[in-house]
Amino acid sequence: MKPLAPAWRKAVRLALLVGVLLALYALALAKHDERERIREQPVTLTPGCSDKLARYGLAAGATYVSPYALARTGQAIVRQGYSEEDVRAIQRGCNIIDDLQGQLAADPARERWNATRFVRGTHTSCDHCHQGIGDKQTAAGVPQTGSLSLAGSWVMADMYDQFTGILLPYELRQMQCYINSSNGFKPNIADDLIRDVTAYGRFLAAALDLRFGNRYPEQGIDEITASQTDKRGDDYVRGGALFREKCARCHGPQGLGTVVDGKVLFPAVAGPNAFNLQSRNNFSFVSTILPGFICRNMPLGEEGSLSNQDCRDIAFYVSNLPRPAGDKQGPLAALWQQLMMRVMPPLIRTIESWQRPGEAVGNGA
Amino acid sequence: MNVKSGVFEWALPRVGALGNELLIGLTLAIVVLPQAIAFSTTLAGLPSYFGLYSAIWGVLFTALLNPSRVFHGGPNSTLSAVVGVTLLPVAPQFGPDYIGYALTLFLLAGLIQLVILAVRPLGRMLDFVSEPVANGMICGIGLYMIFKSFPAFAGLPINTQVEWRLWIAWQSFLAVLEIGNLHAIHIGLITLLVTVVTRQFAALRNWAILLGIVAGTLYSEYLSARLGLGETLIEQTANVSTGFVYPSLPLFAQEAMPDIISIIPGAVTLALLGLFQTVAAMRRMNRRSGQFVDARHGIFADALSNCVLPFISALPTCASFNRMSLMHAMNTGSRLAAVSSALFLLALVSFFGEFIAIIPVPAMAAIIMVVGANMIDWSDIRAHFQHRPEAIVFSASFLSVHLFGLFGAVICGSLLALAYAKWEKAHPNVSLEHNVLRIRGNIYYGSLPVIESLYHRASTDARIDELVVDFSAVHHIDPEGIRWLAEVGRNGKVRLIDRRSGQDRRAVSGESPPDRKRRDRRRRRTL
Repeated sequence: MKPLAPAWRKAVRLALLVGVLLALYALALAKHDERERIREQPVTLTPGCSDKLARYGLAAGATYVSPYALARTGQAIVRQGYSEEDVRAIQRGCNIIDDLQGQLAADPARERWNATRFVRGTHTSCDHCHQGIGDKQTAAGVPQTGSLSLAGSWVMADMYDQFTGILLPYELRQMQCYINSSNGFKPNIADDLIRDVTAYGRFLAAALDLRFGNRYPEQGIDEITASQTDKRGDDYVRGGALFREKCARCHGPQGLGTVVDGKVLFPAVAGPNAFNLQSRNNFSFVSTILPGFICRNMPLGEEGSLSNQDCRDIAFYVSNLPRPAGDKQGPLAALWQQLMMRVMPPLIRTIESWQRPGEAVGNGA
Repeated sequence: MNVKSGVFEWALPRVGALGNELLIGLTLAIVVLPQAIAFSTTLAGLPSYFGLYSAIWGVLFTALLNPSRVFHGGPNSTLSAVVGVTLLPVAPQFGPDYIGYALTLFLLAGLIQLVILAVRPLGRMLDFVSEPVANGMICGIGLYMIFKSFPAFAGLPINTQVEWRLWIAWQSFLAVLEIGNLHAIHIGLITLLVTVVTRQFAALRNWAILLGIVAGTLYSEYLSARLGLGETLIEQTANVSTGFVYPSLPLFAQEAMPDIISIIPGAVTLALLGLFQTVAAMRRMNRRSGQFVDARHGIFADALSNCVLPFISALPTCASFNRMSLMHAMNTGSRLAAVSSALFLLALVSFFGEFIAIIPVPAMAAIIMVVGANMIDWSDIRAHFQHRPEAIVFSASFLSVHLFGLFGAVICGSLLALAYAKWEKAHPNVSLEHNVLRIRGNIYYGSLPVIESLYHRASTDARIDELVVDFSAVHHIDPEGIRWLAEVGRNGKVRLIDRRSGQDRRAVSGESPPDRKRRDRRRRRTL
């Protein structure tokens, strides 16, 4: 048994420890209070959300009747209404889907529940995959070809994780989003971030009158396996050519995305702001998801114009562009990827400028 | 030495001492109880009966197989942490698959320990995991345990995926501050404060954890009575089994094989860490109690127990430093203390199961934090930082726990410790005083360049007429060293001396007394 330290030192140490614990407790109380205040505050909607929620007639009340369903079926389906608190949660959820990074918010960290902590880079937003702020529709309310509808996801009661076989509730699916698409750590399942998005997804399902047990084309994603293609293998060179032809005008020649005035117009598919190596979007990790997404949702406005083979080729090419390492790959892989993303491009540009002096080199990194 | 004979060496206590042994047994049972539950639920991600059965059957088996008087096996914080870290990516915690994989992991670890027992040099290798390596890992795991218990401390659901990295732990810390359940935080804080404060008094030191748990549980019961469990949302331990044994089978299905292969590094880590702690604890106790028990007895007892325990739903066992210090402090005289502690715990679990079931999880998490903080021993760390190579090995081992995981830390730390030992050997202390070149250390292929550089400088120095090469303090010369010495001996300017045999004196007097020669020969014989 270790000898005990002298009394005064013990007292000082103890006081210090208790002091630190109490300080942390006070900090926790302050943070809890702040969260409570944010929950009570009225929400400033993004322009997109303001339109969408107005179109779906979100308002507090005893009952809720979806104008969308009324217009489509001529039948008023009366559902239980939303309280003021519910409405704020739905509004915050919509804001998060539309603008995860808080680029349209006055105080991004507070208004988006610190969502940027859980994604990497400055581009990632839910809206990039869950297009049209969660349900891919035109402003006139016409559904477009697309997948990954949040409303469709809410009414999908039986979604199993492909790898672990666990039944995934809506909250866990959201956490999977953070793991898959942007990675890093994910928000705790009890976080307001998750709760608000759940509220929004649930509201969307009510507004679009989607029902549990039904199957909808916009539910989930069509995974494209190698057997659904021309079976000539995934072609990197062809993928590169297709990328330059079809994708580069928005995503940039190197896939680094388009940012105008600090607002992300088109997200990066390569480089430091893109999804990472261990994301399921990454072709070499799961080879069916990214092709499926591309086929159903890309290029914007010309959805469905690419063949399965095209999608796989493009996905194969895109996934081989440099991107951050996954969290579980360890510090060495992370370092290597950073080297590939940040040191290699200028190096290559320099060498090219030696080889071909006078020529304008480097294509807009 | 035969490990099996040790099983039957029983030093029965005197009749008067029997009461003392039973008292020690009861104390140990009460001390191990909260640890067993906390380690299995919070660290290993297994139902609480795993820890309890380990504290019952693991302790009993090791006490019966290990002749050491001061030995207490049972669940161990480090091993439980390894279990949690290894299995988190494989299956969801507390699920049937997870339990199956856990049993497989334990059995693999037990079998690896058997191999280490059977192949004697492997057992000897454990002595080469040096103190700074082990301490670095233990400190790293202690820190990990503190971070790991944040979500449970604040009553937050534990994320299903592995959360090992320190920079991820920071996020759980922020989550505790922002969205933690305040009732849970209150319970955890009360447990933490009571434990830490009572630890300061020598008389209450060993009871601190138990008192903390009692305080936390009482407050949690008060809350449930006032607000109701549905309002406070406090998770309770529950699920304490009532039977004597809970038979189980490790999972070896064909579709599980890829996962089983992926947990093999974890099994190796588990086996090595367990045995290392047992060997180190036995060494320390040998020094303190005066009874010498070969560490192979400990390896034998651990390996055998760990091969049996997976079949009765128990965590793997290894020596526990804190409980063994307690035993030593209470003057244990025989193995009866450990045996009775197992039986007392069995009785406690059988009769007070429903009281154990209401222990709140935040209180458990607070206990884990205390245990984790205790694993970081500042006096040990300070000692390591007095010596630069040791400090490097310690820091590398500590950091690699967080950067490369536990298995990586074992590999990285051992390699560094070996490299350090080799480096020391390769740098003999060579000095040139006037015309005497003194070599202290080893002459072998690795150290020759160091020696030769100074020798070359001395032998080409015009001021030195006769160079004396003194290798009296050399303890090892390899064939290449001998060839070099032969080469040096051919140089007319050089005289080799080795004062151990009195050679230089003989050379000065010019004659060799016959009796001295005989004495030399005798010495060689006795050596």
